[in-house]
Amino acid sequence: MAGCQRLAQAQHKFKTLNTVNNGAELAQVIQLSSLYTDRVLEDIHKEYGSWDVLEMQPTRGVWDEIAVTHFQAAAAYRLRSFVDAYTRQLSSFNAFLRIFRNMTQWSLPVLYTLSRDLCDVAQRADHQLTTSSSQGGKLEEATRAINQGFSLCMTDREPLLSKSRKWGTFRMANILFALYVRHKAYNLCDSMIRALKASELPPLEQFPMSDQVTFRYYRGMLAFRNEKYTSAKEDLLFALEHCFRDSYNNKTRILVCLTPILMAEGRAPHSRLLRRYPPIKAMYGELAKAAKAGNLRRFDELLQEKEQLFVNTGTFMAVERVRKVAIRQLLRKIYVLTGQNSRMSFQMLCDGFAAAGITDIDIPEMESVLADMVFCGYIKGYLSHDHGIAVLSKLQPFPPLVSIA
Amino acid sequence: MYTAVDMPKKQSPKAPLIQKNKKMSVLKSSLSIANTSGDSTWPNSLKDYVERSFAACSTSARKRLEKQLNQIISSAVKNKKLNSINWTIRPLPKACDLEPQPVLSVKRTSVSAGIIDTSDNFDSEERKERRLHRFQKEAEAEAARKEAESSSTMPIPQPPNTADVHNWDADTIVGTCTRLEKSYFRLTSAPDPSQVRPLSVLRNTLELLKRKWVEDNNYTYICSQFKSMRQDLTVQRITNSFTVEVYETHARVALETNDLGEYNQCQTQLKQLYAMGLPGHAMEFLAYRILYFLYTRNKGDINAAMAAMLPSEKQEQAVQHALSVRAAMAAGNYHRFFMLYLATPNMGGYLIDKFIDRERCASLQRMCKAFRPRLSVAVIAKDLAFTKVDDCIKFLAELNIAISQDESPSVDMKLAYPHAVAAMQIYEKVDIKGQIY
Repeated sequence: MAGCQRLAQAQHKFKTLNTVNNGAELAQVIQLSSLYTDRVLEDIHKEYGSWDVLEMQPTRGVWDEIAVTHFQAAAAYRLRSFVDAYTRQLSSFNAFLRIFRNMTQWSLPVLYTLSRDLCDVAQRADHQLTTSSSQGGKLEEATRAINQGFSLCMTDREPLLSKSRKWGTFRMANILFALYVRHKAYNLCDSMIRALKASELPPLEQFPMSDQVTFRYYRGMLAFRNEKYTSAKEDLLFALEHCFRDSYNNKTRILVCLTPILMAEGRAPHSRLLRRYPPIKAMYGELAKAAKAGNLRRFDELLQEKEQLFVNTGTFMAVERVRKVAIRQLLRKIYVLTGQNSRMSFQMLCDGFAAAGITDIDIPEMESVLADMVFCGYIKGYLSHDHGIAVLSKLQPFPPLVSIA
Repeated sequence: MYTAVDMPKKQSPKAPLIQKNKKMSVLKSSLSIANTSGDSTWPNSLKDYVERSFAACSTSARKRLEKQLNQIISSAVKNKKLNSINWTIRPLPKACDLEPQPVLSVKRTSVSAGIIDTSDNFDSEERKERRLHRFQKEAEAEAARKEAESSSTMPIPQPPNTADVHNWDADTIVGTCTRLEKSYFRLTSAPDPSQVRPLSVLRNTLELLKRKWVEDNNYTYICSQFKSMRQDLTVQRITNSFTVEVYETHARVALETNDLGEYNQCQTQLKQLYAMGLPGHAMEFLAYRILYFLYTRNKGDINAAMAAMLPSEKQEQAVQHALSVRAAMAAGNYHRFFMLYLATPNMGGYLIDKFIDRERCASLQRMCKAFRPRLSVAVIAKDLAFTKVDDCIKFLAELNIAISQDESPSVDMKLAYPHAVAAMQIYEKVDIKGQIY
């Protein structure tokens, strides 16, 4: 069996590109949807009438294998049998990983392309499987394969940094983050971040900006989930500021996590921002207004209304923190309205709250609320239980919100 | 089903139908079963089986045999296992006490020939109709009695009642033990039906255990008994409202005795049972789940539980209480937290007890930071929901907080603050170890 001529040409092309280390072009041609692949498949189809000849191509060496499986995958993709395409793509990927060990930095684009295609095909295969009511799970398999690629990047021993595969680590990590978040495997995300911190990589700042932004978004989002709001704010702010200008969706995602953190610091989202991002406005706009005005009743109303939405996006706990800002604002209003008298009786405060619409707070509860405010630093002063008053500091009874941890 | 010999009660005005020959009546009986099964697609092996069992059965045992056959076949029909059960190798029902005769096709044809011969002069259509009709009525009466009848009196193992057992398969057994009490032993091999109690016995056991718990309060004994009950239920794959009741009762007993391990096991099972749609106190136990998450401070779990809750569930009293507790803790509103604690429905109080001291330390921290110069112990005790002031004094002493020795003891808040902070550190450390992310 001489094999298909056109296919042999393609195999040869792959091998040459490999020899000259032309990563960019190789990455391009090895894409499942590349023009080159299209042309090759078309030619084969014209010559043989079908793509079965691909099965019978002799292979010598790994690149032949990669090339052939790649075209098989592409053919199956065009025929829309995604499960088949997935299997081929997976074997192509695994074959590539075998030689990837010995490759250097030039081959990273190839790895990225293969990974991206693998995820894409896996998702389509899963979709096909679930609609025909059998088990999905291809994406999980793909995740494991990509994890292998990731560790090959991270654990490279190449002494010369410019040739090292380490430069691909964060890119692969970001792909994995997206997959893990989709599978809700947050513990895997956490362990990956720990592994990255422990490994000997060049500092994050030296990596391409797109890698940095994506990585910091994920790291910030995970810190947000674990209620580590200070480090989350740092990462998310960086991501927002350096995010590509036109990536509207990405910026919205960053803002969903970032806004409640900033609101708890007393920074309400600017009207311009709300105008530009209607989803953020819908989620947080009214809440920010109510909190700023100290309208505790309205705040509680909104919180209950949008509870399901917040719970589903995982932001409910963060938004609850903003409630303390609302209480602080309300207390401050009462303070100002009663002439900035630093001695305020609990009874008067209860009356103030009742006037604002909160009627179910009695004096013991008011003491508890005030004690919490003092403890957290929203109020400076002390309470006297025997005299029934709160004595606020003359200098700065309500410290600026930014200064509160 | 009838035999001319065994008909003591029925006063038939017609002449009793004479039993022509044993084989003919065997076939007639089997035909009657076939006709009343309502399913005409009986495999031949089944018809064979019926015939063989009648052939192997003495006339005195025939009534029992009919009952058993009815049961076997109707349960097979219900589970749609008519064709999958291998009737040729299935052992004959226990009522067959004679030597089983070999199945010969020759015999059958002669019998069927015999039917045709005698049908002209003996079995007129009308009489045949009446016989079949009578069998039908008897079979229905039989079935009705079977539903109401307790199964524990029959020493013969029976196929399980499919209303109570899901996932019935060839390995599911029905127990025969009638002893009410049984200690728990981990199973190391296939269960022995004579050691497993059937459903009816277990019902009585539950009543007994409830009484004993109230009277003796011996948890080791009760726990072992409950575990063996759960084992019997699992082994017989019984999943119905009784199973729910057993798990709920055990969970409550475990809560009362502070056995969180057993409580958790029961809670896991109950979650699955409720998800199957079985009736029970789902809301009560949902509230317990929330309180447990508050104990472990596992925010991810709390979030997930809240996400999965239906709005109608959130309106239930117990669930609403648990959610209010969560909100009070999140807001740092210790007063509301302790008010809610004192008004906890059902047995949630035992769950909150697991972390009440932690919350007391947190609240004390706040009080020490805010109140000046002193607070009386009486006020502290009231705020921290101590029922006896002495308990409060003990609590403060354990934290090394100095209490003034006069007639109304009080605490210097400023001095007490570092102690309160130190106490919280201990809780933070313990929790980080115990937390599951």
